[in-house]
Amino acid sequence: MVVRRFPRTVGSLETIVSFVHDFLAERGIDPNHAHDADLVIEELFTNMVKYGGGEAEIAIGLDAEPARLTIELRDFGSAEWDVTQSKPVDIDTPLEQRRPGGLGLHLVRRIAENFRYAYRDRTSIVTVTTRLTP
Amino acid sequence: MFDIKIVTAGNVKLVGRLDAAQAEKAQKIFRGFNHPLTADFSELDYISSAGISVLIETYKRLTAAGHAFRLTNMKPRVRNIFAYAGLDRLLQIE
Repeated sequence: MVVRRFPRTVGSLETIVSFVHDFLAERGIDPNHAHDADLVIEELFTNMVKYGGGEAEIAIGLDAEPARLTIELRDFGSAEWDVTQSKPVDIDTPLEQRRPGGLGLHLVRRIAENFRYAYRDRTSIVTVTTRLTP
Repeated sequence: MFDIKIVTAGNVKLVGRLDAAQAEKAQKIFRGFNHPLTADFSELDYISSAGISVLIETYKRLTAAGHAFRLTNMKPRVRNIFAYAGLDRLLQIE
């Protein structure tokens, strides 16, 4: 797994996209197929930035298989919060009655093939597998 | 990179990637529109929940004022995100 650490700010997103796309290009995979992976990483990363309570940079690890990308995010010094158990969004609720929040993790659940959470040594570890599709 | 180009009065084109880092910029621009609006998505490559939240806010505000807010020409991968969020049935997507 290739791992890099990023400052915990949404300003890191552009660098993160470059990291993911460069990782794929180096393995002969079209970065345009990374749309789902980009979304999963952004939603989980920004969630950690806003709510994780961690103290340090956030580590993102990538591991490619044919047509599939495994993504691991580590939030060091964070509180324990199992994001896989977040409250679901009722997508049938009329817009006027929808409350903000929760949509990002809903999208991750919808897109991910696997979505796992572990908490060890005061570190939240979120692992997701996504398809690489055109 | 993200930008909103004014095509004509009431018609705009979204360009690039509307992610959490660009949502505040998008929100400021959309809050300046107080008339019926059509947004062309043909050059938008990516949108996340942060971008969708800006569009929901705009839709609520404009429709409450009696104005239409139409979203057109989405790429399939962008439209899929709206479908996953259940918004393809709630927003005016053409």
